Amino acid sequence: MNDKQYEILALTLRYWFVLLIVYVFVKSTARTFRDIFSDQPVKRSTGNIPFVLVLFTLTAFGLLAMQGSQAFNVDTALLGVLASAIVLFQFYLLYYLFPGIDEILLLIINTLAILGFIMLQRLTPELALRQVQWFAVGCAVLFGTLLIMPRINSLKRFSSPLMILGPAVLFFVAFFGGESGGATSKLSFGSISVQPSEFVKVIFIMILADSLKEVKTFREKIPLFLFAAASILGVVLQKDLGSALHYFIVFLFVYQISTNDWLITTVASGAGVLAAVAGYKIFPHVQVRVEAWKNPWADIGGKGWQVAQSLMAMGSGGLVGMGLGLGTPYVIPASRTDFIFAAICEEFGILAGGIVIGFYVLVLIRSMYKANLAQSPYDMLLACGSAISLAVQAFIIIGGVVKMIPLTGITLPFISYGGSSMVTSFALLGLILSVSIKNERLVKATDGYEYLDENQDSEQEGFEDEENREQELDDGGEMKSLYRDGRIR
Amino acid sequence: MKHLKRNLRGALIALLGLFLLLTGYFYYNLFLYSDRWFSDPNNTRVRVDMVNPEIIPGSIMDRNQTILVETKTKSERNNDVVYYRDYHKNSKYAAHVVGSKQYGIGAEVLYIRYLLGYDNNLFERIYQKAFLDQEQGNNVILTIDIRLQKFISNAMGNEKGSIVLMNPKTGEILAMVSKPSFDPSDKGEELEEESLFNKAAFGQYTPGSIMKVVTAAAALESVEGIHDYVIDCKGSTEVNGVIVNCYGEEAHGEVNLSRAMEVSCNAYFAQVSLDVGWNQLKKTGEAFGFNKDFLFSDLKTSKSQLPITSQTDAEELAWSGVGQGRVLVTPIHMAMIASTIANGGAIPEPRLIYGIQTRTGKVRMHNSNNLNSPISPETAQALSNMMVGVVENGTGFRAQSTGMLTAGKTGTAEVGSGKQPHAWFIGFAPAEKPTLAVSVVLENAGTGGRNAAPLAGKILREAASLGY
Repeated sequence: MNDKQYEILALTLRYWFVLLIVYVFVKSTARTFRDIFSDQPVKRSTGNIPFVLVLFTLTAFGLLAMQGSQAFNVDTALLGVLASAIVLFQFYLLYYLFPGIDEILLLIINTLAILGFIMLQRLTPELALRQVQWFAVGCAVLFGTLLIMPRINSLKRFSSPLMILGPAVLFFVAFFGGESGGATSKLSFGSISVQPSEFVKVIFIMILADSLKEVKTFREKIPLFLFAAASILGVVLQKDLGSALHYFIVFLFVYQISTNDWLITTVASGAGVLAAVAGYKIFPHVQVRVEAWKNPWADIGGKGWQVAQSLMAMGSGGLVGMGLGLGTPYVIPASRTDFIFAAICEEFGILAGGIVIGFYVLVLIRSMYKANLAQSPYDMLLACGSAISLAVQAFIIIGGVVKMIPLTGITLPFISYGGSSMVTSFALLGLILSVSIKNERLVKATDGYEYLDENQDSEQEGFEDEENREQELDDGGEMKSLYRDGRIR
Repeated sequence: MKHLKRNLRGALIALLGLFLLLTGYFYYNLFLYSDRWFSDPNNTRVRVDMVNPEIIPGSIMDRNQTILVETKTKSERNNDVVYYRDYHKNSKYAAHVVGSKQYGIGAEVLYIRYLLGYDNNLFERIYQKAFLDQEQGNNVILTIDIRLQKFISNAMGNEKGSIVLMNPKTGEILAMVSKPSFDPSDKGEELEEESLFNKAAFGQYTPGSIMKVVTAAAALESVEGIHDYVIDCKGSTEVNGVIVNCYGEEAHGEVNLSRAMEVSCNAYFAQVSLDVGWNQLKKTGEAFGFNKDFLFSDLKTSKSQLPITSQTDAEELAWSGVGQGRVLVTPIHMAMIASTIANGGAIPEPRLIYGIQTRTGKVRMHNSNNLNSPISPETAQALSNMMVGVVENGTGFRAQSTGMLTAGKTGTAEVGSGKQPHAWFIGFAPAEKPTLAVSVVLENAGTGGRNAAPLAGKILREAASLGY
């Protein structure tokens, strides 16, 4: 196929791609609204989304296979088939094995991952195969999480060791890690390099949920504060400011949700702002980032280069993009990882870019909805902590790429290239879906929604004071006995 | 658990708010700036290859379709076709408008979207790819008239400065000259930075007395009975404790608003700007476009600055109303202000693209629109009458030679001791039914009345004789 034929095809298929993405988005948004606002339990369905996703993947990889003057590139097409097969296998396996799973959430995640595969295939074909492999590893981690986590209701004796392990790993990496992109956040094992600050996120959220699941005095919360402070300090020492910001915001949100302790939240936020100002004054590389954010065009050859390239890419895309394979997203620095959002906007258009933001919003809403249905504070905090983590991470990096906030280099969950990010994001998804499974099992074990109604009745009596909170915890204890009796499996 | 759920909802709402902001920022910014980002000279996506290019860039023409720049074949060897951009001889009279690929300025880079045909619809793009041997971009027809550009360039001679001539109704820029200039067809010549700089759009000058138009507008809009307000000018007058000198310390005697405008009395307008107050002066100024980042679709400009706040002291406020102090304006902005008065109070958006000529020869016209209306039609009429007085029996009398009833205001901007002042003139003609608005600034050339006004008169006459 010659260049012109490819261009005609790609120009036309832009609309097809946008159509499919819009379909998935509209369908999952509609389902989300139905789930939240309907009185009856909504029937489980996949709404043709798996089919559309496969169509999307195959067209995109098929198109990319035709790029270049050589004959049809069979490897590329086969990778598309492989990606579709893995997505379908993962989806239907989990769909039938775990009846309580949130199938729409899983499909949204798969859509994001597929967008990542396509962009990587377009940018660096070798990395696309690795990314599909990482996706498979992530799915395995998700499967493992779904087997284990629904059986766990607290960390119990693992809590303290994990509280030490997390910061210890971060400090170890800060002092002995390898340098890349200005941060010392990676450890290399042979050909694989991992970013432990990603994995520690999971520990961080589990510890937060476990420590905050019951009402505690200030003194009892000190270990948690120390743990959080040490973790954040560890990441700061790695010079990974994006992750530090991420940890900090997640902590603030989960802490505030659990304790409603405005005093500490405000003091901590103030301290965070002070630390940011101090960081700006002290570290030259922070100043560079802020200046590049204020006006990337002032020093376009130097400081502003990254952000200006990202803006030019988005400005070139237009509503439906330049067409897959017709832009030059490879000129954007870090287009495979941090700036992949700009690359998507360039070739799929800013409509698709907005929908990517919308998908993260849906992930947040659906997960929060599941957290809202959770039966114990631990589950609730676990689900909402994971959801907030994913959403805030997406917000920080997309905000940086579109020049809303200063750029801090972190990955876009499920889309950016990188094994650590992929596995961690899937582990967090696993935590959310485990809570969803627990909710479902409880509903089944108590003959439909009777238990829920009872619970709502008792809630109307008011839970404002601590006494009632304890009573609520007793309810949780009752649940445990249900588990022991084998009524819930 | 109830309060957990409540907090959960609160957190969700907070995060949704953040994402809403993000989406809003994303689309708002792209809506406003995406064309500029796209046509940035650093954007490698639109770099034009000259050897076997995918798309041949179109021509740039003036409003009478006189070609200024076009793409020509240089040579064909080893199956390679080499093209080059041919800058026609008269393109040097419009150097800053036409610009240069080499230096990354002007229409050559700003309108690359059209020149390369990226604005074509899908069917046209596919048709070209499928059925044409060589894809072609579109021709850009500018609003300028190259005859006027040439006339103005020659009339300015070796003076430094800038002249903008526009249609006050439509905002079409008929001529935009900046001196010193360069010749786009001359390659390899060593150029001073200054000659590449488009002073009409980016030059920030002290306005001097032409600012009095804005001060008078603020007074007309906010102070009752301003027409009958009289002060006694002694050449060096004390105004609320501030000593205000008129130009050459000339005593104007008892002046009212229109007489003060005619003789350009500093004391009067210093007093008026103090009476109007910083708030109203700033409000009117900003309605006229001061301190505002203009995002015109056809050209980029610098910001005009009116830096007054509640902290501004009486001395600076008085001088700001007279156009000295830290007030800075661009020539194109002053042409817009003149157009606003000519246009009955509405600011026309300045335009440089007349239309886009596609491959088949059809011209897609670009529409004109007004930005906002800083003053009422009555105020505009009053200002217009005063400006007619300036030319008929005031400082601007040397602009009378147009053969039309002309309205104008002269300005003599002090730019530090030991230097000649900048000479300014803004105006429009014919005053009853304006079709031309002009803004002239000549750097360090002397007084506006003596140096800028006659030039403006000549230009208006020439433009009128060409039928504009």
